[in-house]
Amino acid sequence: MAVRTIEVREKVMAMNNELAAVVRQRLAEAGVVAFNLVSSPGSGKTTLLERTLDELGEELGIAVVTGDVQTQNDADRLARRTTRLVQAVVTGGACHLDARQVLSALDAIDLQRTRLLFVENVGNLVCPASWDLGEEAKVVLFSVTEGEDKPLKYPKMFREARYAVLNKMDLLPHVPFDLDSAVAAARSVNPDLTFFFTSALHGEGLTTWFDFLRSRIRQTAPV
Amino acid sequence: MHEMSLALDVGRMVEKEMERHPGRLVTVGVAVGDNAGVEPSSLEFCLAAVLAHPPFAGARAVLTKVPGDALRLDYLEVDDGRPDH
Repeated sequence: MAVRTIEVREKVMAMNNELAAVVRQRLAEAGVVAFNLVSSPGSGKTTLLERTLDELGEELGIAVVTGDVQTQNDADRLARRTTRLVQAVVTGGACHLDARQVLSALDAIDLQRTRLLFVENVGNLVCPASWDLGEEAKVVLFSVTEGEDKPLKYPKMFREARYAVLNKMDLLPHVPFDLDSAVAAARSVNPDLTFFFTSALHGEGLTTWFDFLRSRIRQTAPV
Repeated sequence: MHEMSLALDVGRMVEKEMERHPGRLVTVGVAVGDNAGVEPSSLEFCLAAVLAHPPFAGARAVLTKVPGDALRLDYLEVDDGRPDH
């Protein structure tokens, strides 16, 4: 039998990564900083974005792309907090957003009016870790009701993220959550993580988050 | 859960390679890193589903575990019908 071996050695997801590079380039040209918000379902991504839009929506020209398996509920909630169009991607079953979906969403966003773009990914601590969307950084949320070992159970997500938001801090007195262990667990998989401690619902810690966003946007100008 | 998307991506890559290397596809070699965020047995199952259909002629997927976060199409084995040299 004349079986020949053909060396390929090509990365899978090359197509996604090429599209992510296009997204990154378009955002850089427009001077837009993009964060990819990832978490398990129910950690408070949408509530954090609601509060962020209330405080900084106009000031920082925030645009949002939301991803959900079904419904546009998150996009509808966020649309009530901004005059901008909120782009909803309904994945219809897929467990993550990909760069192609974000690239299409960019077509409907006025990037010239935008300084900061949030992509609210599908609630899932596994799959979104593997997909580059062209963002500047992933921001991983988790909350005190989820258990302090989340970073150890889902290390890839915490390794891929540059920022971590520990949310629902107002519930800390009521739940058996060891804050120091949670931070240590996250730092054990990613020593460079920058932490924010927030209650998106009641406002605790949000000033630090807002100051970070303001300062990050001040550093960026269109190329 | 996203292993089927990855398997379809591998299928697209293999199809592109086969245009340059015609013949009967026998094996598709894929390297999977232990930090790739991929469940190898699930990917193997999805690859079998993808490769069962034309133009792949029921080729076999061979997964090799490697360190790190690599996920790549490593090699193809193609029977080009020509005698061995």
